[in-house]
Amino acid sequence: MGYFLKKQNLIPYLAHLNKKYQVFVPAKNHNGATCFEEFSGQELCLKERTLYSVKDLYLPNKEREFFFEKKHGSCKIHETIKHRPRIVFGVRSCDLHALNVLDKLFLEFYGYDPLYKNKRNTSLVIGLSCSEPCETGFCASMGTNKPDFFDLFFWEKKDGYFVEIGSPSWEKLYHKKFFEETEEKKGTPIEDCKLELNTADLEDILEKNFEHGIWNSESKRCLSCSSCTEICPTCHCFTVEDNFLLDDSGTERYREWASCQLQRFTKIHGAILRASRKSRLRQFVMHKLSYFKQQHNVHLCVGCGRCIQVCPVKISLVDIAEKIRGEGNA
Amino acid sequence: MHEYEAPLKPELAEIIKVKSETPSIKTFDVRFVDKKLQKQFAFLPGKFVMVSVFGYGEMPISISSSPFEKEFIQLTVNAVGNISNAMHRLKKGDLIGLRGPFGRGYLLQRFRRKNIVFFSGGCGLASIRSAVLAALAKKDMFGDIFLFHGCKSSKELLFGKEIANWERRNSLNACVSVDIPEKGWKGHTGFVTDLIEKKPLPVENTVVLMCGPPVMVKIAIQKFKDLGFKPEQIYASLERLMHCGVGKCGHCNIGREYVCVHGPVFSGSQIEKMHLEEG
Repeated sequence: MGYFLKKQNLIPYLAHLNKKYQVFVPAKNHNGATCFEEFSGQELCLKERTLYSVKDLYLPNKEREFFFEKKHGSCKIHETIKHRPRIVFGVRSCDLHALNVLDKLFLEFYGYDPLYKNKRNTSLVIGLSCSEPCETGFCASMGTNKPDFFDLFFWEKKDGYFVEIGSPSWEKLYHKKFFEETEEKKGTPIEDCKLELNTADLEDILEKNFEHGIWNSESKRCLSCSSCTEICPTCHCFTVEDNFLLDDSGTERYREWASCQLQRFTKIHGAILRASRKSRLRQFVMHKLSYFKQQHNVHLCVGCGRCIQVCPVKISLVDIAEKIRGEGNA
Repeated sequence: MHEYEAPLKPELAEIIKVKSETPSIKTFDVRFVDKKLQKQFAFLPGKFVMVSVFGYGEMPISISSSPFEKEFIQLTVNAVGNISNAMHRLKKGDLIGLRGPFGRGYLLQRFRRKNIVFFSGGCGLASIRSAVLAALAKKDMFGDIFLFHGCKSSKELLFGKEIANWERRNSLNACVSVDIPEKGWKGHTGFVTDLIEKKPLPVENTVVLMCGPPVMVKIAIQKFKDLGFKPEQIYASLERLMHCGVGKCGHCNIGREYVCVHGPVFSGSQIEKMHLEEG
């Protein structure tokens, strides 16, 4: 036995949640791209996974860390304000796994990041199943096609959603008006992805082929546009910068996304440590498929295929990894 | 698991003294405004702090004072970028932000009864100085102590008087080399890495602690290995761009390591596995 939510009840259910929580849903932004937008009764985009991932809600592309108030030659440090509790609806399996990967770094590795933890702990996540494999995805290869790390998961059925329970906090999301008991079973994860990546010992194979010729040939096409890192649900690198406030009341410190595809990412005085496109493209692929796995025992790539989708010159990390496996030293 | 908050919030510290060392390097004596923090602040040589110059940003700076100095912390800063230049404009009494110490330092207590070769280039002497002061304070613990230092010109020699003092008191064998000599320079000329072959060094029971520009580190490790040093006998501090100091921002990532939490001091055997020069 489980719960079922009828399709016509979805919008009223979200509206109900919106009374107490800030609700985010997959919808079109002002540019027409699909991403997670604040719920306002707008049309939902539930057909395919969003172009922008759920990362944007937890690691916004620009965020204030501190405010330093200047007063009588002294200085007071103000921390950033806490967040309203959130519900994120419509998170696909790949993005759920992406959040788990970010948790490893921002909650467990050398102390938790207070800004990330604040948002993560005050938000509940409702997942949503995929009915079709996406054009560039390879989640079945990465093992991220099976949903995990959610509070509720909605399996799409003919006229509604079978609701799977994932955490003790699910009761906060339950309402008897919308949920009815059902004998239906949960669905099955996507297995027939269009791309395939063999991940067996991949981290070692890539490490051993650090000087493989494919880095030269692929980087000749790479534009270093950093679209891949911007769109990736697990790319998390950031830069911290200070700003003077124009009213001279003090200064603020904010963090902003950074991209390893740009030269300034490794610029120290007198040298840029990854000056060539080759080394920067390699850093991206190696971090996704080798380095992070060596460190945290999970790949930084969740197989959503967004980087392949947005790359203007169609560089694919699946192709690179498969080619190295096929040609490189074992 | 690590269930604690990563220290991102800087604490206020006051500059109590500024000393010009060379045309581009100044040493700042700083003290936490909160007296309790100053008392509790303990660190190993080689560790670094994140220094905030409010309105300009934050940068990683190695601590150059002795770990036994409890009254203040010394930061030796080379003016090379936006933040370090802004720091150079600060005066006695100005406030900065400090957080740390971060990273792994030189584990001097592991080198009991061993000879130590300190090896530095340019501003790298800042973090090496902290280790030298710590070693000299417990001199009986160690064998012979050597210091090799190199800089561009005699004008840019950091802590020149201090090195001369150490030598005069026979505390250590120092050897300074300049790349381009100026009038009146009586010491060595050439790259500091050339001294490795010229100076007789004990290989047995010796460790090398190194800090300097990436090129120097690379060449020096190779030359020490040619002399017969094993990679485990060499420790080098690496320099990378850092924005957080707590293993999150990703700038200092080299392979599986983050320099800010797994370094900045790495052993030679770790460095051998790293891709240092990616071009």
